[in-house]
Amino acid sequence: MNPMVNPYQVLPALLEEVTIETAAIKSFYLRPERPFDFKCGQFAALTVPGVGEAPFAMASSASHPERLKFTVQRAGYMTERLHALSPGARLGLRGPFGNGFNVADYYGRHLLLVVGGVGFPPARALLHTAVAQKERFLSIRMCYGARSPEDVVYSDEISALRKEIQLDLTVDSAGETWCESLGVVTTLLQTDQIDAAQTTAVVIGPPVMMKFATLKLLDLNLAPENIVLSMERKMYCGIGQCRHCMIDHLFICKDGPVFTYAELQNLPDIWE
Amino acid sequence: MAERYYVGKAHWLSILHAWLETYTILAAQAEGDNLYYAPLIPTELSHIVYDRARSVQPLKTYLIPPLDEVSSDYKPPQKPWMFLGVKACDLAALSILDPAFGGEFTDPFYAQRRHGSLIVSSDCTAPLSSCFCTRVGGQPYAIKGFDLNLSRIWDGFVVEVGSLKGRQLLDGHDEALKELVKEEAETLLKIRDEARQKVNRINSDFVFPEAVYEVLAGQRESAVWADYVKTCVECGACNHACSTCHCYYLDDVTRADFVKLRGWDGCQYSGYAVTAGGGTPRPELKERFRNRYYCKFKYLPDNYSQKGCTGCGRCIDACQGQIDMRRVLHDLSVKSGEVT
Repeated sequence: MNPMVNPYQVLPALLEEVTIETAAIKSFYLRPERPFDFKCGQFAALTVPGVGEAPFAMASSASHPERLKFTVQRAGYMTERLHALSPGARLGLRGPFGNGFNVADYYGRHLLLVVGGVGFPPARALLHTAVAQKERFLSIRMCYGARSPEDVVYSDEISALRKEIQLDLTVDSAGETWCESLGVVTTLLQTDQIDAAQTTAVVIGPPVMMKFATLKLLDLNLAPENIVLSMERKMYCGIGQCRHCMIDHLFICKDGPVFTYAELQNLPDIWE
Repeated sequence: MAERYYVGKAHWLSILHAWLETYTILAAQAEGDNLYYAPLIPTELSHIVYDRARSVQPLKTYLIPPLDEVSSDYKPPQKPWMFLGVKACDLAALSILDPAFGGEFTDPFYAQRRHGSLIVSSDCTAPLSSCFCTRVGGQPYAIKGFDLNLSRIWDGFVVEVGSLKGRQLLDGHDEALKELVKEEAETLLKIRDEARQKVNRINSDFVFPEAVYEVLAGQRESAVWADYVKTCVECGACNHACSTCHCYYLDDVTRADFVKLRGWDGCQYSGYAVTAGGGTPRPELKERFRNRYYCKFKYLPDNYSQKGCTGCGRCIDACQGQIDMRRVLHDLSVKSGEVT
């Protein structure tokens, strides 16, 4: 990087559209002043001017760097203020940061996405990248778990996705009108449906879900190097300096956020 | 062989006057029992303390200030900085800060302050009770990382050239530079050996191996951590006083348009690693306390091939709870069977 490039300066972006996903989750469509080239699985620091910034993975396909989609759960001060914005607002972007998914590593294999809750947005960029070239995979399957039917994000996209891939949906609890599965996402992972030697699983979701999904996949005989995890930690800089995101000596922001379980399995407290 | 000269006092003062024309000299000066870097004014050259020990502020105070506006372009100081009287422990800290702020992503603020500044170091002769550089692989005099190094000897200095920029500082002062004679070289060796012995004597009660991580590795769950945090008040002084700690947060200026501030953060604070969802990898104080030791002796060495502790002892002096890192390492060594 050129030493005169200032990594703290933002790329201004226009908020073009806001859509409601669930009671606590909205999607924000941004048009940056310049195309924001990225790889699926990378993330950006999104700034609400005068309020603050936080890291979010792009939920849109990397083939459209001119218009980005971020899907954000209201969880604190910054996201509260973001949720209050209307189209026309000016936002800022820094990045893209992180290593992203090496999709080519999964070619010729069964690609299994195991996704929990608000992990769907980062998974969506990977899903769209993979589906666009689905002949390169033995199969693509997604298992998605949410707390309740009301917490399912991108519910309007699910029937279209099902024309392309196998998509299994489960919620922890639901009323009688729910006709998908019930139970945590790991209940969707059955031995007879998984060819362990030829499967690469990508796990994205809240820490506790990632832990149990990984244990289940190991149980199903997936090798640690074929379990891919997109990790999350508190972050500020995105460039491997501020040290908030570290797991042991690894910078989640720069060495990750995408790791294989083989890279993490000997480190303490990875699920915290 | 290093390029070294003997410079007598009168000549030295004229060199300083010449440098003051070009540089803002941030020189170690006494205030009470302590030394602080402060801008040198021409009428107060006698205030410079060349020997004794390290200053209270680490160099990071200048290179990554406690609060800095980072979203606009870097504005260089009117005159470039020269740090004068920097001790070896603080030069060692730069072996962490340089790669941390100049790796894959260069920090333009650190890079320009660092490369725009000169470092004239000087030997430590009166180590403090908290000093332990020799126990973590250092020594109380600089052997690399300086532009010029000064060793006080008799009524003058042995001046060692450490870089091209350092050599250029001496250009035009040929009449001041005397070739070093054998007696001066031998005296210098003796002074340095004495200083080294002093540090060792100060630390004779503390027994832990120089390869500190050998001890830590097996002591993750040791009761020692919980024991020591009994007096910790989570003030973060150990983080802020440390010459290598460089964690920071970013914050946006309220109601301003994309103005970002960077401020020092500390891993001892409970909110340090808390995510928006409320989770944190280190909810307990003893875990945060332990993290600092692991960061110094495992994570930073893994990242930058250099211990994150230089033995400057600032964390010991700054601690409200009188926690002494050497005592912690000693107790962990006893527990691990390294020491009996």
